[in-house]
Amino acid sequence: MNHLTDELLNEYLDNEITDRATVENHLASCADCTARLSALESLFAELESLPEVALSCPLASPLIRTYTLPRWLTLTAVLQSAIALAGVIIAAPFVINLLPAIEPSSLLTFISEIQSQWTAALDMLSQMHMPVMPEIHIAEFSSLMIALAGVSILWLLGNGVLLKNQLK
Amino acid sequence: MNALTDRDLILRARGGNAEAIGELTTRYQTSVFNVCYRMTHERREAEDLAQETFLRVYSRLDLFDLERDFGPWVRRVAANICLNYFETQKPTVEIDDERLADENNQPEAAYETRERSELIRKAIAALPANYRVVVELRHFQELSYDEIAVELNIPVSDVKSHLFRARKILAEKLK
Ligand SMILES: [Zn+2]
Repeated sequence: MNHLTDELLNEYLDNEITDRATVENHLASCADCTARLSALESLFAELESLPEVALSCPLASPLIRTYTLPRWLTLTAVLQSAIALAGVIIAAPFVINLLPAIEPSSLLTFISEIQSQWTAALDMLSQMHMPVMPEIHIAEFSSLMIALAGVSILWLLGNGVLLKNQLK
Repeated sequence: MNALTDRDLILRARGGNAEAIGELTTRYQTSVFNVCYRMTHERREAEDLAQETFLRVYSRLDLFDLERDFGPWVRRVAANICLNYFETQKPTVEIDDERLADENNQPEAAYETRERSELIRKAIAALPANYRVVVELRHFQELSYDEIAVELNIPVSDVKSHLFRARKILAEKLK
């Protein structure tokens, strides 16, 4: 009678064979194979006896960075949108006022319209500030200068924010 | 957070909830670390690999089937991470021989080897990486031959030959 192969003994202990009876019949009458099986069984038991070890310190959570806010919702993105929104708000009244005026009129009149609107708005603005800060005579400045300064500040701020994003 | 089921935590973690991610990590860090420690028998390495396992797990959380248990999935990922890691290293047998020789020369290591479990760990760590991972998945994660074959993307015949040879080597060393 042939002895059981190593493969069969392994599969038997791994519960990977359906025909267990054949193996068991042989084992019942063969001391050699029974000894080989019990040697294998004790190896299984040894592996199973291996205790879990404790971590010396909890694992750091490096994951929080990747899982904070969605990428589009960063501080700089918010600032960029705020500046864009400010631009729209500043431009809106002129655009609305000018829309009916944009007819066959030439580009030059269009620009001068914008300029006069700006001037009107800035005059209004300076008058608004007059009672609060009379020492600053905003009206003495040329309206154009104020407009340029305002636009430049916005431009610098916007670019700074954009660059900050790029450098990250 | 402690009272929540894994399922709840996974759903929150998918939404980017850092607390849920932290709690899942806390729940499974020891078992994941132990997978890596059995595979490497080196604490520092095992910690790094456990860390990497969680990174992989959270980046693939959307692929996880919520009907299944989270723990076994995470431990399988850990075994795979370890295997990939060994495959990018020098031939493992050499490393292990060197390391075993080194450790045997150190008095404190000699003290440790007196313990049976240290012997077992060393014997496992000295196996070729592809044998080691099969031993890990069969004996410690209790996967069937078929499941191991799927997990490692190898034929069942390879699973069997690696496992049986690994056991032969282990039995020889642990006699
Ligand atoms: Zn026999």
